[in-house]
Amino acid sequence: MIKKIVAFLSFILILLAPFYGQIEISSQNIFNNLSSDYQIFWDIRVPRTLLAFFVGAILALSGLVFQTIFRNPMSTPFTLGVASGATLFTAIAIILGFTAFTSLFAFIGAMVTIILLFIISSRINIKETSSLLLIGIALSFFYSACLMVLFFVSNLQESYEIVRFTMGSLDIVGFNDIYLVILAGLSILTIALRYKYEIQLLLTSYQLANLKGIDVKKTNYILLFWVSVAVGICVSITGPIGFIGLIIPHILKTIYKKSADKLIIPVFFYGGVFLVLCDMISRNLGVTSDIPIGVVTSFLGAPFFIYLIISKKR
Amino acid sequence: MLKVDNYNSNILKNISFEIDNKNLIILGSNGAGKTTLAHLLSGLLEHNNTVLIDGINPSFTYGDKKTKLINYIPPKLDIFDDYIDVKEFLDINNLHSNKLVEDILKLLEINYLANKPCKQLSSGESQLLLIASAILHNAKYTIFDEITANLDPLKIKKVFNLLKDKNIFNHKIIITHNLDLAYKLKYDILFIKDGKIVFNDTNENFFSDESLKVFFKDSVKKVDNNILVAL
Repeated sequence: MIKKIVAFLSFILILLAPFYGQIEISSQNIFNNLSSDYQIFWDIRVPRTLLAFFVGAILALSGLVFQTIFRNPMSTPFTLGVASGATLFTAIAIILGFTAFTSLFAFIGAMVTIILLFIISSRINIKETSSLLLIGIALSFFYSACLMVLFFVSNLQESYEIVRFTMGSLDIVGFNDIYLVILAGLSILTIALRYKYEIQLLLTSYQLANLKGIDVKKTNYILLFWVSVAVGICVSITGPIGFIGLIIPHILKTIYKKSADKLIIPVFFYGGVFLVLCDMISRNLGVTSDIPIGVVTSFLGAPFFIYLIISKKR
Repeated sequence: MLKVDNYNSNILKNISFEIDNKNLIILGSNGAGKTTLAHLLSGLLEHNNTVLIDGINPSFTYGDKKTKLINYIPPKLDIFDDYIDVKEFLDINNLHSNKLVEDILKLLEINYLANKPCKQLSSGESQLLLIASAILHNAKYTIFDEITANLDPLKIKKVFNLLKDKNIFNHKIIITHNLDLAYKLKYDILFIKDGKIVFNDTNENFFSDESLKVFFKDSVKKVDNNILVAL
């Protein structure tokens, strides 16, 4: 019952999100295409809310899938270096002067990292999942070092642009950018639901999945590939928004007390709701401009996450 | 028919044997390679057609084609997720049997555990759960790795009776250190030492006084038709 009420309130939150912001708009004007409210509502607020919802949903679901495949509660596309890859390539684009192509570079950076991880994981036994996590962490440090070099050689303007990208941003105008994100979100949701039985078996052990007739390697590669493409698309548009992939699956597991295969839809939905909520806070608290979204997700998420872990251990 | 044709690795040496629609017991000291052999038979190790079950290589076969042929029950339950419960676990194992999960839970007297997360079970309870899963999976050949290791005497007797019951499992391959169980089941014996097969013959010949002396020196005795460890 409480779950239903929370789901209903969350839905209302998403519907109301476009109405709130630094510029007040009146609800009567949103269908009057001559008013400026109409433009703010339909060209800025609605696309932004949709973007926030689908990016949050993709990041949360990607965390759930990575944690299942790597059998490690800390693995997300971010802890494995995917986001650092995107950031590094964006920095390269900014410094080389290809500012119009930063999204493309970010996407390439994410995909290069994934391909690297695939090559490495085929060399080591994929069952040794902690080694892959360590490799991801090493890769992140390597990327950070490269990024330091780029900071060192860049001018002030370029450095600022790079820093701003790493904070994440949901600033978009119009619907052009978000069709791809919505498509990516719905695709990985469909894939995750299609592979529900396989995911359930992977949640026990690779050995059991194999004995129940699952081609474990192939299943893992399919899931990882599509999730990574979706994350690559998100990062290319919004920059790295960390932490959601880590905390949302954990929070829902603690609250629902159900196995991960039954949490696919809740994780997707509440991942989206969480980012919409963070975005509302970021837009409405700002004194002069929006607080970077990455800051809000961590400010809000970290204390709640720590509280949950402590209360669970008791 | 299950056939192994000269398999070699750094653990197992020159392994060749056949089982034609029969049961088998695999014995051997700790670290002899019994579990590795079980992994080989159940397709968990990759190989080039050295193991064929009814002409099918279990390691590159997926879906029903594989699950109908062979199943392996490990000595310990390995589960990553914190919340998968006993009933859910049995549901995903319910493949080729016409029995109901509820009936199997009752049969093994673990129906009180139905909604308990698998991760919270004791080692004995998880072993019973694994046996229940084997009944529901119902493969042609089921390999049990140390099936009684964590069970109390009452449960060992219960499992023994299940193994004797022809309506519960098809063919069984049992890895065990419980020599009395091996003796009473009367299946043929395969004895492994340092990765090699050193005995592959009938139960009667293995449990003769002479061969017991060869394999176990003075540590095993036959007393009143029971095999005991002499301490």
